[in-house]
Amino acid sequence: MAVPSPKSPEQSERSRKYDRQLRLWGDQGQQDLETAHVCLINATALGTEILKSLVLPGIGAFTIIDNEVITEEDVGSNFFVTADKIGEKRGSIASQLLCELNSDTRGHFIDECLLKLLDLNPGLFKTFTVVVTTSLHEKEIIDLSHKLWTYNIPLLVCQSYGFFGSMRLQLAEHTMIKTHPDNQNPDLRLDCPFQKLKAHFDTYNLEALDLTNHLHVPYLVILYKHLEKWRNDIGNVNALPETYKQKQVIRDNIKNSIRKHENGTLYHEENFEEAIRSVNFAYNRTSLSENIQLILKDEKLMNLTLNSQPFWIMVKALKDFVDNEGCGKLPVRGTLPDMTADTFKYISLQQLYHEQAAKDAEAVYNRVQQLLQHVNLPDDTITEQDIKIFCKHASELCVIRGTRIADEYERKGNADNEISQSLEDPDSLIEHYIILRGIERFYSEYYTYPGEIDEQVEPDIPKLKLCISNLLSEWGCMYSTKEDYIHEYCRYGKSELHSVSSFIGGCVSHEIIKIITRQYKPVNNSFVFNAINCSTESFTL
Amino acid sequence: MAATIAGVFKPEVQNLIINSKILLVGSGGIGCEVLKNLVMLGFCNIEVIDLDTIEVSNLNRQFLFNKESVGKPKSHVAKTSVLKFNPNVNITSHFGDITDNKYGVAFFNKFKLVINALDNKKARSHVNRMCLSCEIPLIESGTMGYQGQVEFILKGVSMCFECNARSEPKSYPMCTIRNTPREPIHCIIWAKYLFSQLFGNSDEDVSMEQKEEVEGGYEKLSARNWAIKNEYNPKKLFKKIFFDDIIYLLGMSHLYEGRIIKPVLLDESLLEQEYCEYNHVPDNKILTLEQSISMFSDSVTAIKEKLGESNAECLTWDKDDDNFMSFVVSCSNIRSAIFNIPFKSYFDIKSMAGNIIPAIATANAMVAGQIVIHALRILQKKYDRCQNVFLRSMPNHKGGLLVKDKDVLKPNPKCNVCISDGEILLVTDTHKFTIRQLEELVLKKKLNMVAPDVQIDDRVIISSDADDEVNMYDLTLLEAGLKDRSTFEVDDGLQSFIIKIKVHHQEKYEEEEPDFEIFNNMNEFNAANEINKYMELNENDDDCVIEEKTVDSSGSGVCVNNEDIKEAVMVSKKEVTEEISNEEGTEEISNKEGTEEISNEEGTEEISNKEGIEEISNKEGAKDITNGEGAEEILAIKRKAAEEIEDINDVKKSRVD
Ligand SMILES: [Zn+2]
Repeated sequence: MAVPSPKSPEQSERSRKYDRQLRLWGDQGQQDLETAHVCLINATALGTEILKSLVLPGIGAFTIIDNEVITEEDVGSNFFVTADKIGEKRGSIASQLLCELNSDTRGHFIDECLLKLLDLNPGLFKTFTVVVTTSLHEKEIIDLSHKLWTYNIPLLVCQSYGFFGSMRLQLAEHTMIKTHPDNQNPDLRLDCPFQKLKAHFDTYNLEALDLTNHLHVPYLVILYKHLEKWRNDIGNVNALPETYKQKQVIRDNIKNSIRKHENGTLYHEENFEEAIRSVNFAYNRTSLSENIQLILKDEKLMNLTLNSQPFWIMVKALKDFVDNEGCGKLPVRGTLPDMTADTFKYISLQQLYHEQAAKDAEAVYNRVQQLLQHVNLPDDTITEQDIKIFCKHASELCVIRGTRIADEYERKGNADNEISQSLEDPDSLIEHYIILRGIERFYSEYYTYPGEIDEQVEPDIPKLKLCISNLLSEWGCMYSTKEDYIHEYCRYGKSELHSVSSFIGGCVSHEIIKIITRQYKPVNNSFVFNAINCSTESFTL
Repeated sequence: MAATIAGVFKPEVQNLIINSKILLVGSGGIGCEVLKNLVMLGFCNIEVIDLDTIEVSNLNRQFLFNKESVGKPKSHVAKTSVLKFNPNVNITSHFGDITDNKYGVAFFNKFKLVINALDNKKARSHVNRMCLSCEIPLIESGTMGYQGQVEFILKGVSMCFECNARSEPKSYPMCTIRNTPREPIHCIIWAKYLFSQLFGNSDEDVSMEQKEEVEGGYEKLSARNWAIKNEYNPKKLFKKIFFDDIIYLLGMSHLYEGRIIKPVLLDESLLEQEYCEYNHVPDNKILTLEQSISMFSDSVTAIKEKLGESNAECLTWDKDDDNFMSFVVSCSNIRSAIFNIPFKSYFDIKSMAGNIIPAIATANAMVAGQIVIHALRILQKKYDRCQNVFLRSMPNHKGGLLVKDKDVLKPNPKCNVCISDGEILLVTDTHKFTIRQLEELVLKKKLNMVAPDVQIDDRVIISSDADDEVNMYDLTLLEAGLKDRSTFEVDDGLQSFIIKIKVHHQEKYEEEEPDFEIFNNMNEFNAANEINKYMELNENDDDCVIEEKTVDSSGSGVCVNNEDIKEAVMVSKKEVTEEISNEEGTEEISNKEGTEEISNEEGTEEISNKEGIEEISNKEGAKDITNGEGAEEILAIKRKAAEEIEDINDVKKSRVD
């Protein structure tokens, strides 16, 4: 007999190395990571911390764009540059050391000024999955934001400044299929069982079952039978129990149908107890959520073309399904919760849901094929497997359309609602966003950071204040920032604290992973970290 | 380094950073990050201790290690890697167990601050006690999936690690494992026991003795010896374990009288089945029974070979060994077939058998960043700003990913560890409970002591000194003089931890009842009994909450504190009288499922698990994830469960093809 070798050595090595994260985002998520190419602009401490947490889980490649050389300050805060390399290219050294973390990741380095690259070789940026920046200046942010917005490539603008830090995410359009909602009701269709399911329920006669079988009836059957009974009792064949009272009636009915010992005490029928516990959620009306209704009405569905994303073609097929075969409902999800039952009864029930799900998915798939033909795309643009996954997660679909960062910088007049609203909350961290913006403005005017030169700390304070009040008046905001904060920021003089960067780096890479894997909803759309108070807050700017 | 940068830190803080010696306990996921952060901040006197060696599954986050360092001690490699980047710091690395008595008070007293980056409760409790007794501030931390936490502990200033009872990992009565499994996890635990019985050194038998013909008659052989005698022949083993043993069980008529659970013998044709290829089936798909049987044969053959090659007489089960895993996967699924329990995939069984908690680099980086920020405050004695901090997987309503307690939590006045020299109540059958069980299960496992001493009337009952010849272990409590209502004192010299235990005799009738229970006082014991009565009266009401929290019928005991009981009664009453919104309903059920599915380790098993649990506790009410069984993991498992349905069908299809 052969000694088993279940998987190829490489595959087994990979699944072992990534085991602990595969349990969070699955094989598909891992594949997405392994084909992703992340661009980092400026290999600061924050920048390398971000990349570190992306290289470890195995992104395919990264490119560092950086034309700075390593300084003493870098060595003080950046783990991925070393003292013996002072004066050498920062991006080159960081890229080398980061590559050592994971042999599966390829690292590249471009020694060029960002603005020049944007000017001479903008196409380069189309090759990236995500672009993330640290310590950029106003002009760079604006130009990059415009460019990536038109390419629809996600951009994250990040900063780590003394005890504070921020991240701003720009997503022109981001579509997600697996959003991992926190609590999702199972798709049981007890209110509208499909034909075969109804027929299956009808084969059961609970009263006639012997005890062993009675103990092994899946609770769905019990729930369905009691729904019928209740409808009969109240004389309304379409009713669903909605109020607590109505549900309680059904619970009592179920309880009363538990078999009794000869001495009158109840048998311990776990399946009936499960049924009682499930009354609360199992009788939900099968319907489209508001979010799904919006997505099905999206204007992207109006004119599908050769250039439409597969996601929108699938959504269009889904919409057509809902309007036709689906009778106003999404495809059956096809998954059942665990329940007490014997294997045969459970599997046959499960099989029905699964068959229906497969049937629905096939219908959607056929519609996808038609659509693909219609827009002249090859048949295999979207596979049957893609559709299966899509249909299974149809109720969690999500579309995010963000705002352009450049607009925040070029906006004159009325401040964003979010900013003025947040300013009313004395504990809000929005103030730090404003100060950080003020510091960027300071740099644009003086080509140095406030307090960067030791003797300059005191004289820089009023200058920074002026920058901030100018910004606020541009936005039409009446506000004055706290004096001691301004002093504090000037005292930092641009210095970066490693542990603050370590924290923000973790947050940012986490968002990048969500974006690359298109799983879990990313923070919408910016966030600020205050290490002095250990607090974070996110804003939609 | 940062400490030298002017502006950010005042000179006195710079001095604190340069002159404070720090102990880092654990150099795993969080440990690597913390070590890097400490060095980057300018700390230059650090000692790091870890008892583990590097494994491949560490590499996705423990960035100071690489492929070449697999198998080497974590602490040493972490030190070497950091020194490569920063040669000017003074790091001492220890490859050892922090609970070892060579790391006593004198060792701890060297440090200004201790940071825990551990993965198990026992070591955490131990360091907690050491720091309390030396009055050294401690930062306690943990992550699980996307979540994490940082806690500050200092004697008299804040809550200690043990101020609140942290929920126990779920354990299962041995008779459920042996005779009446109902869930996949029962079969998985059984399969791990079977592994230890056949290949390791086990103290719990799950396979029967076997009669074997010898010269001049029959002799009874243990399953292990029988297997050795038959040279681990897979076919014979298969017949013995999955046919003969089951027939034996069925023969014990009282076992299944009036029960739903009853094993059903497999079809005998399976004994002679042809080899059924399974290598093409991915990890997350479910095998058929026929495939499982072939996997069983293959794994037995491979493990036998491994046992032959190694000089050791025993193998230790390890979830990262593919053959060991295959053995557990195939055995548990074959057993599931017999007991009519759904099959599980390799991927899921690995998660349950290995108690795997998802772990990623990002969460560790965030928590470690926070730890060092806390460390700076603690050294400056700004204790009022060292609130416990929690990292959430999703932003809360205010958009915060980090949530902190409003204030530093005061010690619990009832805490047996940091405040009172309290007395606890041990409820057990004094006629049956032995001194060995008292030491192993109560003092070491339950109360997390490492070197307990017990004397009664100048008589040594339990000694931490190996030179003391104490021969009391096999006596029952009663025989050793510990009868109902007697009180005795336990002293752990290493931890400087003393506790009084009062014995309360309660006869044990059924095997399923726990061997012992621990309560803080008589009132709690009475309250727990009240609840049991209440439960009996309300059999059909939602009892899941209480089951989870208190009526844990484990073999190793239960700890219940008063608050939990009150809360449990309240919840259960509330559930009877109040409507819960749909979402909450679902959540609760899914939590329950998750909890039952994942936790299995500590209570019932001796099989060592190096990875352990990266424990974290979330103070936000309902979701207590102290054992690591948090929302993310539960969701993951739920999703997996959902995906399997698809899997079954795929397998079917491939069979048709
Ligand atoms: Zn305490």
